[in-house]
Amino acid sequence: MAFNFNWSPLMADTTRARDMLTAALNKSPKPPIIVDDIIVTELNMGSTPPELEILEVGDLAEDRFRGIFKMSYTGDAFLTLKTRVQANPLNTYLSAKPTFASPQPLAAASGLTIPLQITLSDIRLSGFVILVFSRQKGLTLVFRNDPLESLKVSSTFDSIPFVRDYLQKEIEGQLRVLFMEDLPAILHRLSLRLWSSEYQEMDDEKTADSSKDNTAPIDPLASPPQDAVDAFGNPLDESQISSLSLGPSETHASFSQKNLLRLAALTESHRTLSLFTPSMREAVFRAWAGAAERDHSGTNTPSLTLSSLSRIQSSFNNSVKSNTSSIVSGSTGNETTSSRPTLQSFGSTGLGGGRSRTHPSRKGKNRVVNLRRDQTDNDSESVSTEPSADAPSIIISDTTSIIPEKGEDFSSPPSPTTGLRFHKRNGSLDVGEPSQILNQSTSESATPTTPKSADTPKSSRSKSKAKISTPDLSEKPKAFTTPNSKTPSTPIRYPHPTRMLRSMSLDKIPFPQSASATSNSRLPMSPPYTESASSGGILEQAWMMKMAAEIARKVQEGKDKEAKMERQNARSGNWQSRSRSNKAEGLWARSEDDEVEAPPAYVA
Amino acid sequence: MLGFMDYVQSAFYEASHWNRDNSYGTLNATAQALLDYDTPRGLRLHISSLAAPNFATSYTVGSVGIVDGSISYLYSSLPILTSAKSSDIDLHHVIKGYRHLRDLRRPDEDWWWEIWHSGKRIDRRDTLLYGRIFLPRSTLEALYLRRLSPTKQLKICCVSDSSLNNGGTILALLQSDVGKYSTEYMYSTDSALLGIRGLYNFGPDPRENVVAPTIPEDVVEPIHGRFSAGAELYYGILNKSGGLSTGLRFTTLPHHTGFPYTMTLTLNPLMGNLLSTYAVKAGQNLALCSRFHFNFYSYESDLQLGCELWTRRRNTDIEWAVKKLRPDWKRVTLKPDEDVTGVLKARVDQDWRIGVLWEGRIKELLFTLGASLDLKRREQIFRAIGVELQYSS
Repeated sequence: MAFNFNWSPLMADTTRARDMLTAALNKSPKPPIIVDDIIVTELNMGSTPPELEILEVGDLAEDRFRGIFKMSYTGDAFLTLKTRVQANPLNTYLSAKPTFASPQPLAAASGLTIPLQITLSDIRLSGFVILVFSRQKGLTLVFRNDPLESLKVSSTFDSIPFVRDYLQKEIEGQLRVLFMEDLPAILHRLSLRLWSSEYQEMDDEKTADSSKDNTAPIDPLASPPQDAVDAFGNPLDESQISSLSLGPSETHASFSQKNLLRLAALTESHRTLSLFTPSMREAVFRAWAGAAERDHSGTNTPSLTLSSLSRIQSSFNNSVKSNTSSIVSGSTGNETTSSRPTLQSFGSTGLGGGRSRTHPSRKGKNRVVNLRRDQTDNDSESVSTEPSADAPSIIISDTTSIIPEKGEDFSSPPSPTTGLRFHKRNGSLDVGEPSQILNQSTSESATPTTPKSADTPKSSRSKSKAKISTPDLSEKPKAFTTPNSKTPSTPIRYPHPTRMLRSMSLDKIPFPQSASATSNSRLPMSPPYTESASSGGILEQAWMMKMAAEIARKVQEGKDKEAKMERQNARSGNWQSRSRSNKAEGLWARSEDDEVEAPPAYVA
Repeated sequence: MLGFMDYVQSAFYEASHWNRDNSYGTLNATAQALLDYDTPRGLRLHISSLAAPNFATSYTVGSVGIVDGSISYLYSSLPILTSAKSSDIDLHHVIKGYRHLRDLRRPDEDWWWEIWHSGKRIDRRDTLLYGRIFLPRSTLEALYLRRLSPTKQLKICCVSDSSLNNGGTILALLQSDVGKYSTEYMYSTDSALLGIRGLYNFGPDPRENVVAPTIPEDVVEPIHGRFSAGAELYYGILNKSGGLSTGLRFTTLPHHTGFPYTMTLTLNPLMGNLLSTYAVKAGQNLALCSRFHFNFYSYESDLQLGCELWTRRRNTDIEWAVKKLRPDWKRVTLKPDEDVTGVLKARVDQDWRIGVLWEGRIKELLFTLGASLDLKRREQIFRAIGVELQYSS
């Protein structure tokens, strides 16, 4: 693979870049010492291109690219600015002060403006660049660290050492801001203008908004009500949808219009005091969830059509993107303060759709997991080929970690047999089924990250979330082994080939932070796990891959399993009817059901 | 137009015999009044009250896009006895215009202020306290003013605002005025700025006892004008920067028979600024002012012209009758300025930026109507336009 960077066109025409730089420099409020607009009179990119070293390529396709570069620049680019400065220190000092407590000098503060020309040259840059490009969202370029190493400032006042030092200091500070904040915005805008035809028609206000959007990419699943409303508001406007993000368009494919409309009505009624609740087929309302807990773990696990799977994946992709940026922010030093919120938000956004859904049914699931652990401890470990150093402790911990929940949610029924049964059921379930996810997450997205102290599963989950940020390896891999064994489910879950590839490539890339984790070398699968906060999506994919392989093996080796499958298929025929009736019957009938259902899986 | 609180403060100065004009800071007061006024923006309402002679309150509501306002209270240990009703405030006291300087007054003797009661001194120093909070910005202004002695005054201004460095700033000002000269020392907590200002008046010293002339030839003819010179010097200890300026002023005194006029010249030698103003009161109702500014380092120059016109009600209906009155008949004398309907101020500078202000009284309300225009910008000539209404009781 080779990249061809063409540096010379950049040198040729810099008028537009100059205009944009001028606009960017004059946008932010200037210090009072600068009394005129800052005008970029000359901009020369130089003849020496910057050196780029590819550290990782995260995502590569025709219309998208994500990678991390190491950039160093020691070229001969220069930049000349022209402005006017206030030479009277008293004037600048007083201009920022309230008049009430100002000494109000008679003439001592009268101004003397001096034209100033500043030339910036000998720019030395070195830093890590994260580049994300997608045809729809444009180009996002983020510096992981402060790229400016050194810079030579020459100005009209070079003969006065005090002023020269002051200017050098001020300009370096301003340039740091420029590189870290303004340049990404400028590039993003340029890229949008180049590639996105819709963008060109947008006015400036929308420009600002979309650029903000891009700096903090929003998971389509993070705000399902928004999506629903969007879908509600302009369901068929293709250009609108495509300009939004990947998510909504695929949401359309997986959610039926009718249910979306109803969900929109439901969220609307949540916002108001309206008691109207639209009836939704195949959906369990939270208010009933206490009684029908088993519904979720048992029968009502959402079936995954191909489209819904792709939607999940795309949301994961997004979440991964957002988390790379969170890594960036975390690596700058104040990790504990800055990275926590992003992790939290990750938990609520990236996985929000799936995780939140499990709330009502957690109790039942826990029991299922425990059962399995008791019986098939060896099995799960042999399958997952991971060291079982802390096996005993995991039995307790696995109930609370995020990823198993997610696994159970989206793709895994408690046992392979039931999984297969679900697979059969897929045909009978309507497309509207996944909308439950949306439903639940809409109701919960309001308070996604605040654990209720009374609700023990929730609080423990929040703890585990906190743990994720620390590479607690002994526990995490275990947590992941549990779904592995119990989710050899459906062939439907095989991802699309290209997606598979992408997920593979994502997997193999060591994340910058996980590189420091010691366990990387000994656990081939562990890097994503240690980064599970950031790469839950990758994990999910890798794990599905494994799972798929496992299914194949299991199908090979277990003859009686097939027999069981057939038996259960026969049983699943009446499952549908039973599940309907069970809703009315309530918890006990349901739990009995599950206890009857679950054991065979673990025997196998 | 002065705000109500400023009006009350100036009444306090008046009552405590403090001459604000005798300070280097007010050397250019006439030119500033005729050229540097603010034109109002949006709509602003002031409701004020001098509830007791010692206590005043004022509320302001304004809307320039957003609604904001302020609440202010003032306490003065010296009773303010002048009327504060907006219906009978003298417009000359609230509208700053051409300033007639008075003859210098001989400062009070210290012992004049002493009040003894049964062997003990019971007199207090006159004090003024003032506070104002701006909402919703949550900016707080506070002023403490104390007449330490007949020739000394302490003024402490504070502003508390979260947007400022250290959350606020304090300025302490110690002023002394003995008539012949005045000095001011100041300290600002912002970058520890120290300042000193001084003004010296040439001519006779008002402190010297004017002995009643014995021989008619000795009668000194009244002084027609006053020549003053002053300077100021500032130094910021923390930012190690300073500034200075010097100034001259010649102004006519009430004895002057011709048109009253004022000339000033200030110079900032560090920054090369030369500023000259000339203001003339061309009639009872008209004052004109010009200001020229030149910087001999950057060769920048600036010219501003301004005028002030007092418009009076014409009693055309009875004018013919008044004319027919015999000279020995008693006439109904109007109070001065009772027939004033308003004051029109206008200014223009070399860049064709124009400011127009129309101030006056309608019924019980004092109003200020203003606009600033920029003729160079054809697409947006009106830069700001606004109305201010004041009611006080």
